[in-house]
Amino acid sequence: MPNKESIVICRCEEVTYGQLLSTANEHKCTARELKLRTRAGMGFCSGRTCRLTLDRIIESVIPNVSSSKIPLKYQPPIRPVTFGTVGENQ
Amino acid sequence: MSRILDHPILGSLDNRERISFRFDGVTYEAYKNETIAAALLANGIRKLRVHEDSGTPRGIYCNIGHCLECRVTVNNQKNVRACLTTVEKDMIVESGKQHPNIVRGMVEKQWLM
Repeated sequence: MPNKESIVICRCEEVTYGQLLSTANEHKCTARELKLRTRAGMGFCSGRTCRLTLDRIIESVIPNVSSSKIPLKYQPPIRPVTFGTVGENQ
Repeated sequence: MSRILDHPILGSLDNRERISFRFDGVTYEAYKNETIAAALLANGIRKLRVHEDSGTPRGIYCNIGHCLECRVTVNNQKNVRACLTTVEKDMIVESGKQHPNIVRGMVEKQWLM
């Protein structure tokens, strides 16, 4: 198995576990700040794959943090859609 | 890569209709009602696209339409999920390519100067 640090957590923006962990350790921040600093969860799938991992990383780095304090947002559209889908052109 | 020849639900492979489609300019054979991802996997193709920025390979990841890692261009419609879209006769599928990064190019030039 390859080095744990090199595992890609956010595949859309290609952010590795090592990058996330070092950012979290350096800034001791919220999951939202971790997202904004590394772009993890800001890619095409809008964090559908890596959201929970981001929350868990923050929980492991900062004890007693509640992920509901400044959570990663859920906002519409829930899944990526084309402009044609929301506009008039199908 | 091979297929299940006698599936308990889908039945025998011999009874299923074969169709052809194109992926990146090459013609492949698929079975009717198969997804694009499944047809390509059966033909030994695992790389469906490359990451737009870094160019690293991507393929089937979740295979249930959740992760959008398998998005390809189908008949000029961009970002179609290969794992959910059933392959149709003479369908033209193109893999995702790396995009030029203008900002990175500018930064690298600055460093060289």
